[in-house]
Amino acid sequence: MIRAGSRVLVAMSGGVDSSVAAALLVEQGFDVVGVTMKTFCYSGTGDHGKTCCGLDGIVDARRVADTLGIPHYVFDVEEDFTRDVIDDFVSEYAEGRTPNPCVRCNSNTKIPDLLARGRELQCDAIATGHYVRIAHDEGGSHLLRGLDRRKDQSYFLWGLPREVLPSLLFPLGELTKPEVRDRARSLTLATAEKPESQEICFVPTGNYRDLLQKRLPGVHPALEPGPIVRRDGTVIGEHGGYAGFTVGQRKGLPGGFAEPIFVLEVRPGSREVVVGTRDELDVPAMEVAEVNWHGDAPEPGAELSVQIRYRAPDVPAVVEAREGDRLTLRFVEPQRAVTPGQSAVIFDGERVLGGGRIRRALTPPQCLRPDASANDSIAAFSSSESSSGTLTSTSTI
Amino acid sequence: MTAPPIYLDYAATTPVRPEVVAAMEPYWAEHFGNSGSAHRWGRKAGAAIEESRSRIAEALGARRREIVFVRGGTESDNLAILGRAELSRAQGTAPRVAVPATEHKAVLEAAAAVQSMGGTTTILPVDSEGRIEMAALDSALEAGLCCLSCMWVNNETGVMQPIPEIVERAHAAGITVHTDAVQAVGKIRVRVDEVPVDLLSLSGHKIYGPKSVGVLFVREGTEVHARLHGGGQESGLRPGTLDTVGVVGLAEAVCLAVEEQEAYQSRVTALRDRLVGGLRERLNGEVRVHGEHAPRAGHVVNVGLPCGASEMLMISLDLEGLAVSGGSACTSGSTAGSHVLRAMFGEDGPSAGVRFSFGRTTTEEEIDRAIAITARVVERLRPSGATA
Repeated sequence: MIRAGSRVLVAMSGGVDSSVAAALLVEQGFDVVGVTMKTFCYSGTGDHGKTCCGLDGIVDARRVADTLGIPHYVFDVEEDFTRDVIDDFVSEYAEGRTPNPCVRCNSNTKIPDLLARGRELQCDAIATGHYVRIAHDEGGSHLLRGLDRRKDQSYFLWGLPREVLPSLLFPLGELTKPEVRDRARSLTLATAEKPESQEICFVPTGNYRDLLQKRLPGVHPALEPGPIVRRDGTVIGEHGGYAGFTVGQRKGLPGGFAEPIFVLEVRPGSREVVVGTRDELDVPAMEVAEVNWHGDAPEPGAELSVQIRYRAPDVPAVVEAREGDRLTLRFVEPQRAVTPGQSAVIFDGERVLGGGRIRRALTPPQCLRPDASANDSIAAFSSSESSSGTLTSTSTI
Repeated sequence: MTAPPIYLDYAATTPVRPEVVAAMEPYWAEHFGNSGSAHRWGRKAGAAIEESRSRIAEALGARRREIVFVRGGTESDNLAILGRAELSRAQGTAPRVAVPATEHKAVLEAAAAVQSMGGTTTILPVDSEGRIEMAALDSALEAGLCCLSCMWVNNETGVMQPIPEIVERAHAAGITVHTDAVQAVGKIRVRVDEVPVDLLSLSGHKIYGPKSVGVLFVREGTEVHARLHGGGQESGLRPGTLDTVGVVGLAEAVCLAVEEQEAYQSRVTALRDRLVGGLRERLNGEVRVHGEHAPRAGHVVNVGLPCGASEMLMISLDLEGLAVSGGSACTSGSTAGSHVLRAMFGEDGPSAGVRFSFGRTTTEEEIDRAIAITARVVERLRPSGATA
């Protein structure tokens, strides 16, 4: 489908993965053009280039391109990135949800932008250093999990429009991270020993509250004190702003209870952070919004497998209802850590069928009426198992 | 199979020519002394530096002691503008400087820095051909300035400012004039004994000399405050051990460039006209030359082409083997719109052009291939003929 000799635009972040992806494409005989997407203004972050796409990233990508003997360019996508990714990240937290910005970035900014520019530059395909695979058959092109399950990044790519799949190459899909490092070393790439980036690229300090403070208008309820309540309404304390809480979190909650307590739900309307015991975290069903399919959408009653958090296994679930881009899924076994804002990615074995953003967890009565008002703050409860920090998937890819 | 790539970005930098490399060679390892040392090694280096100073002075019509060696064009511009501003401040006056909006960033940013010294910066407008507005100049001069800085030849468009006339007006108002002549020396006639500028900046690497070495000409009687503190070299104006290798190379480059200037200018002007004519023919006349009706130096031309997205155009040209420039390249290698074009055409006018610049080894054959490549890429990218 994409033959050797074709011109391929490869996104190079300046990290080891995309460096090796570019190197492999060169080896395979493609006419490789490297690009780095400049996504935001680094001068405002107080961190000059520690993260993969910082100026250091651009410089490192350029060094690697020089070693490989390929051209390299910088695309300034700051405006799109700010609108599609950062603004969304902020508004999701303002709504009491916990977003995956990397999903937004790949689906809305990075890959569509690469495709558009790639066409202008007469490229036949675009490539990235994601640990996922693409398979082409008579049924079309399918996105598959990376073979290295510890690195698999399919969770971040469910949002790709179906029609872009035939134009994508993922050279790392069959490799493990140690193999990638070895390749980088043997090619003496400047990025061979570069550490893994862990934080969200536009929050290099890991403290997203600063970002929210900077970008939310004036005094915003998400950053104002509010009550910490039990599910029965008992107030047990006060918090410093619900944006600091995610479902399943323990940190920042009062102690002194018989059992440890966890965040069950964030209610932006009343600024309440609802807490409860570990058992209260289990959820039988959820509603997923902004669903995108890579194949035909399943009908109600269909059994499928869903992953609700990065690095978690996928679990069986049944489609209860589907309406437009909304989907109600009932888990075969109740699940913890059903966190609004996080991605729900639907699999058939290794293959990504689609995905969406978790809108809310559903309690038993609501499962019977899946169209119950989505904004009702009494609606959902949900959880996660983390004992301290948040479960936001921040892997930068 | 593929033709060799074509470099038409000589305004960005030039290779060091063989004569210059040869002149520099003995000073790397053989005559490596510190020109400030009293012993024979030092004397050898010192002699080379002073010989270089004399040669450059002669080439420009200056006196030896008016030539100050610095580390390149940016440092030269900064020393002139901030050195004048610092002097003004030391004399108890808030410094005031004025510069046209089309200056190089080295001048614009140095001028902007005067504000952090408690001074004021006036940005002078230019007309749509890139020429300084004389009425605005006159009113700035009337208000009093410690320095007027105005480039001789614009690095993006080749547009020449009327430096003799500007100097005359400024001097009539008692104002000191600096000119950034980085794109002028060796390209057009530049003689400080004919045009009485007070301060002039030049750089080695635009004229087939080494990078990171340049000159600030400081006319005798013009006071400038040093910006660095150290061992008193260059009359204290630019302390630091002199780079003998660079200085010797710079002198050789300046002498050769000045000597060959007339022949060079007529050659590159013919190449420029061939390029513009060829592009107009291939693209049905839809080619604008920015600053076309202003007096221009021939080694640089800035054109507006009938396709959008200058960034994609630059990349496409590079992929086809043609190296040119669009606006000014920033440190990350990304391209932004041009402040020079914005100054000429306003915010709603064309903000991106393609700069072609020619060198002493550029051939007509290269120009013809550049025309073909550019026309092909433009046809592909232009909104109407999108077939890609």
